[in-house]
Amino acid sequence: MLSKMRIVKSGFTALAAISFIMGSQLSIAAGGSETKGLPQLDISTWPNQLLWLAATFLVGYLLMAKVITPRIGAVLNTRRQTISDDLKRAKDAETEAKQMKENYESAIETARITAAEAASKAMAEAKAKAEAAEVDLTTKLAKKTRAAEIKLSKMRDEALANIHDVAKELTLDTVSSVTGIKVKKTEADKAVKKVIKLSGQEA
Amino acid sequence: MHSPVEQFAIKVLFALNLFGFDIQFTNSSLFMVLAVLVSFGFLFIAMKPAAVVPGRMQGLAEMLYEFVADMVRSNVGSEGKPYFPFIFTLFIFVLFSNLLGLIPYSYTTTSQIVVTFAMAIVIFLGVTVIALIKHGLHFFSFFVPAGAPKVLIPFLVLIEVISYFVRPVSLSVRLFANMLAGHTMLKVFGGLAVMIASAGGIFAAGSLLPLIAIIGLTGLEILVAVLQAYVFTILTCMYLNDALHLH
Repeated sequence: MLSKMRIVKSGFTALAAISFIMGSQLSIAAGGSETKGLPQLDISTWPNQLLWLAATFLVGYLLMAKVITPRIGAVLNTRRQTISDDLKRAKDAETEAKQMKENYESAIETARITAAEAASKAMAEAKAKAEAAEVDLTTKLAKKTRAAEIKLSKMRDEALANIHDVAKELTLDTVSSVTGIKVKKTEADKAVKKVIKLSGQEA
Repeated sequence: MHSPVEQFAIKVLFALNLFGFDIQFTNSSLFMVLAVLVSFGFLFIAMKPAAVVPGRMQGLAEMLYEFVADMVRSNVGSEGKPYFPFIFTLFIFVLFSNLLGLIPYSYTTTSQIVVTFAMAIVIFLGVTVIALIKHGLHFFSFFVPAGAPKVLIPFLVLIEVISYFVRPVSLSVRLFANMLAGHTMLKVFGGLAVMIASAGGIFAAGSLLPLIAIIGLTGLEILVAVLQAYVFTILTCMYLNDALHLH
């Protein structure tokens, strides 16, 4: 940067020198007006320039120092403040959102656990009920079976007893009608019993 | 044919009488006033919205501010803050003077050695006074380079003192010479174009060459105008830094 500037500067100095020579020659060639040299070196204009420079620079300084720089500084400050505030707000919103997400997730977890508990409880209850009902039914059925069995055996005994009587009667009737012999009831009974015993032995 | 340096002549526009003093209002005065008015007007209008999200004009004004603020911060440090308004004014004043001077028929106030030297000497004296107030007699240690061989110290002190007192001269002459050279060169090429054109016939077409050169030079001059305003300001910052921190 600096070396570049130096090159530009030296180039300028050379060009300025050339242009001075050319300029003076041009004006001489053109037979121009008096060549007084540089107007900058005319001391008579200096006090006036210094006065105006002081006045304008002072006014410029006051305007910049009192109006412009405080205004720009304030705007830049406001901007910095706004940006940092916005960043803080964004961070707050982020943590809030995170918190909300955590809450939501924990709520869902709790709900899931509660639901699972309720389901298992209901299942256990239903099972217990079913078991109780089964036990009840079994005992009832057993009772009924038992009663039926008793009834059945009774009926069978009765039937068997009836068979004796019927066989006795039949024997008496058959013997009397075939042979005409009056058989005593006790004898018939004895005979039937004997036969039954025999048939039972055969069987 | 006018001389290429005639553009630097001071012309009285009208006489002013203020409290019995005769103040001539010249072309130089006019452009000093314009530099202040235009720069203030621009910055004032640009900052009028004072928006958090700046527009183009406001962005430019803020850029100028940040540019100078960065320059002061990096070259002087936080102690340079009280001097920021002055350095900002200096930069704006020189920048607008240089740029306004590039408008055809205008006047470049910074092409006057008396103007640049006045600014430079005020900076030089101000900086020296700041250094003396801050460091007292210790300020003179500034002229003794640290760690130099004892034999060389008298010579080095001499060199340091000379280089210190040359500062206002180099500061002012740099700006003045750049403005002078640039504007003279533009005028020379302009005169050349007119001369060739007045030759008439086919030769007149040759005047295009200096014309093209002027276009290029004008671009270069805009660069120089901005660059010299920057150089003037940054050197002021460096001098201020020396005064506040003694190297």
